[in-house]
Amino acid sequence: MAADMRLPNIRKLVSLSLSAGDRRDLVVPGDVITSDSGFMRGHGTYVDEEKLTASVAGEVQRVDKLICVRPLKTRFNGEVGDVVVGRITEVQQKRWKVETNSRLDSILLLSSVNLPGGELRRRSAEDELTMREYLLEGDLISAEVQSVFSDGALSLHTRSLKYGKLGQGVLVQISPSLIKRQKTHFHNLPCGASIILGNNGFVWLYPTPGQQDEEAGGFYTSLEPISLSDREVISRLRNCLLALSAHKVLVFDTSVLYCYESSLQHQVKDILKPEVMEEIVMLTQQKLIEQEG
Amino acid sequence: MKETPLSNCERDFLLKAIQEKKRLDGRQTYDYRKLKIMFGTDFGCCFVELGKTRVMAQVSCELVAPKENRPNEGIMFFNIELSPMASPAFEQGRQSELSVKLNRQLERCLRNSKCIDLESLCVVSGEKVWQIRVDVHMLNHDGNLMDAASITAIASLCHFRRPDVGIQGDEVTVYSPDERDPIPLSIYHMPISVSFAFFQQGTYLLVDPCEREERVMDGLLMIAMNKHREICSIQSSGGIMLLKEQVMRCSKIASVKVSEITKLIMKALENDKTARKAGGKCGFAESMPQERITALKKDETAVEMTDVTERANDIVLNAEVPPQTSQSLLVPLPGMGQVGKDLQNSWGIEEYYQDEEEAFNSDEDKQTMMEVGEKQKVHEDVVEISDSEEDEVVILQPEATDRAHKKTSSSSHLKEPAKSKKRHRK
Amino acid sequence: MSSFRCFVLCGNMAGLELLSDQGYRLDGRKASELRKVQARMGVFAQADGSAYLEQGNTKALAVVYGPHEMRGSRSRTLHDRAVINCQYSMATFSMSERKRRPHGDRKSTEMSLHLKQTFEAAVMTQLYPRSQIDIYVKILQSDGGNYSVCVNAATLAVIDAGIPMLDYVCASTVGFVDETPLADLCYAEESGGVSSLALALLPRGGQIALLQMDARLHQDNLEALMDAAMTACKGVSKVLDQVVRQHLQEASLATGD
Repeated sequence: MAADMRLPNIRKLVSLSLSAGDRRDLVVPGDVITSDSGFMRGHGTYVDEEKLTASVAGEVQRVDKLICVRPLKTRFNGEVGDVVVGRITEVQQKRWKVETNSRLDSILLLSSVNLPGGELRRRSAEDELTMREYLLEGDLISAEVQSVFSDGALSLHTRSLKYGKLGQGVLVQISPSLIKRQKTHFHNLPCGASIILGNNGFVWLYPTPGQQDEEAGGFYTSLEPISLSDREVISRLRNCLLALSAHKVLVFDTSVLYCYESSLQHQVKDILKPEVMEEIVMLTQQKLIEQEG
Repeated sequence: MKETPLSNCERDFLLKAIQEKKRLDGRQTYDYRKLKIMFGTDFGCCFVELGKTRVMAQVSCELVAPKENRPNEGIMFFNIELSPMASPAFEQGRQSELSVKLNRQLERCLRNSKCIDLESLCVVSGEKVWQIRVDVHMLNHDGNLMDAASITAIASLCHFRRPDVGIQGDEVTVYSPDERDPIPLSIYHMPISVSFAFFQQGTYLLVDPCEREERVMDGLLMIAMNKHREICSIQSSGGIMLLKEQVMRCSKIASVKVSEITKLIMKALENDKTARKAGGKCGFAESMPQERITALKKDETAVEMTDVTERANDIVLNAEVPPQTSQSLLVPLPGMGQVGKDLQNSWGIEEYYQDEEEAFNSDEDKQTMMEVGEKQKVHEDVVEISDSEEDEVVILQPEATDRAHKKTSSSSHLKEPAKSKKRHRK
Repeated sequence: MSSFRCFVLCGNMAGLELLSDQGYRLDGRKASELRKVQARMGVFAQADGSAYLEQGNTKALAVVYGPHEMRGSRSRTLHDRAVINCQYSMATFSMSERKRRPHGDRKSTEMSLHLKQTFEAAVMTQLYPRSQIDIYVKILQSDGGNYSVCVNAATLAVIDAGIPMLDYVCASTVGFVDETPLADLCYAEESGGVSSLALALLPRGGQIALLQMDARLHQDNLEALMDAAMTACKGVSKVLDQVVRQHLQEASLATGD
């Protein structure tokens, strides 16, 4: 049996002089950002003795008079219009609770889903009883943030054919801050699979559907077997996503695709080896820079 | 049962009162409630009342094998029992956060400060030592359990006598109290805990918080000290931010309080001793027939009763006419009331009633009324039912009848002198 | 290690002095000298925040989950702020004697309570109503100052999780021997019967989040001891600050922005 062995190597110390020196836009909790009272207090800051002070460690962002500090790593802070992938955790009266890596479970109201068959009508008591037939605890869904409640919980909706229950595929969880905000988060990649990049860091990989399903209202899931080649593509994409996340590269359709292309010379299972990962990510970053330039 | 939450208006009221440096039970900021220490018939039984907080402690002892790492030291064991009897918020049989906190604090206060000579509790090194067990029971919870518990525990330890033992060869004999006099524990010092409650992020500070105050406080600082001004333990709790100056101030207050309480405990111990020597009935069991324990008896308030009459006269003589306030007299007509702070009535009654009203409010009337009022007040001081509204009612009655009488004679011509008088006053 | 500790224990009984005439302590430090602090943030992938911290021979791991939906009993939910849930445990191999119960005994429960109290003061819980923040701390090796090491490690973990705090919380344990305050006690000194004081400080404003003292100390010496503790905490905060900044640099370099 072949076995891989690697020796421990010393953690590379990032020499501070080599980087941009001490970057002034990086702050730690308790750092005074400004004592000018003309600025507005955004997320990650508080006012102490009329001084604007950081409460998290991260990067200072300024939009006009508004100062925010964005932490490097945090839970998902949803905004209206964000695409999310989530998991049903609870079926309650008239609503589902959805786990979306947010600080409170999100809520999907019965009134904000499309009924099967695309019927448009008031939700009756009967619908309340058959809620479990649409979505069950443990089901994965894709949805959009409809509004944010006062306590920070998100209200979701699936009132579009592209949202709804997810069938066969693979879920990859990465940090929400690595997902690049884009116009669309649904992509049919040319390599033969589709991807949903949830803003909450949940990424869904699934085989590209043949044609748009008939009026299923997003509750229909195909259970037909997937061909081996499709599955291989999906596995490769999953490992690529993990590689990108391990090296903290922003994830969006181009970066995923370049990463996929760079990984083609390796076997799927080898992608997760640290040295291969590093190589692939280097290639990806190079391609991204070329494309930009 | 979960604690019933405090209503918002109660909370606001309490906080506002604290801001104005007032406490519900009329104490000053640094005052303790009334502290009462009683001892039981048995040695080592103590019963403490701190306001309405009631705590009982019993010390017991037993011969056991010592701990391996301390072969010639006795063992101290403390346990605070929060029974649901004391407060519905205490749950049966569960180690609540509060109970862990109190238990650990008591342990720290009494064990870690080494106030008891543990080596004197050793009988045979490595084989037999005395285990002293202090069981503290909360009987009624009205705040500041920690201080009450620490006072009870140390007082009962001071009161406790363990049986004497004799060693012959390998044999250890424990003598009953009839054979040999029991021996008191050797106590080096008496640590007593003093609690400080902090409100509004540490802006306000109170000593000995009662239950209500505990429920609105932000945090608590417990300082245990002995009368030699040695700090035995400090513990802050609750999410408060303290400043060093505050801690220093608290430690100064604590040293004063501790010396007072220590004196009280010593006195109580002495009283108990003399009572025992005299062979009189003393202790816990004796208190049963007097209903000292079973009933929440009201204590009489002592009131100064000497030279009441002189003082009353004195006040009357020296009384000044109070400034004219329109609030004191507000009955324009018999049978007509006035509602609200603003004295304009909106009932369509002609204006001259008002003038008339002011006229009657003139000086000589006022003077007599004042006398009545002051006398009333003096009287009130004595019986302690001060209610400012009450005397107003009493004053108004003769006045109203008087006015009614005048009114019947003529109301139209009265208008004129009233106005003149008013001018005169100006 | 354990043999050394045994020696020290015996030595204490024989009256070994904790502070030599030359002003050196058992492990060769000066009175106000801290032990070496080494730390690393982001040691676990699964948790929202994690950190590892060594202070001399005391080693601790801290992990933060949250803020997330309330788990367990819903009745503990607070409608105006987040609940902080702490668990302190000691690895069974952390001391010279094997520890039978890693957590759940009175001392650990009390320690969990204290941690909770410390972080309730420092974390801006009012930003997360109806949610819960879990802080789990484990002592891997215990050599004195367990509480302070836990607080320091947990601070790093909370920062790593991106949870807003007023300031760092730094803690230190100090003792008092021969009229001299000793900073950052090790196990031998702690068990040597010195009066020790644990203090958690928000260094910028000088606010004390937790204060705890054991054993006897004259009132007049309290101020000196507290001053020493606050200086020690400020020293620790400098080290933590460096660790956090270094971590920030590394992480932001990797994202390439």
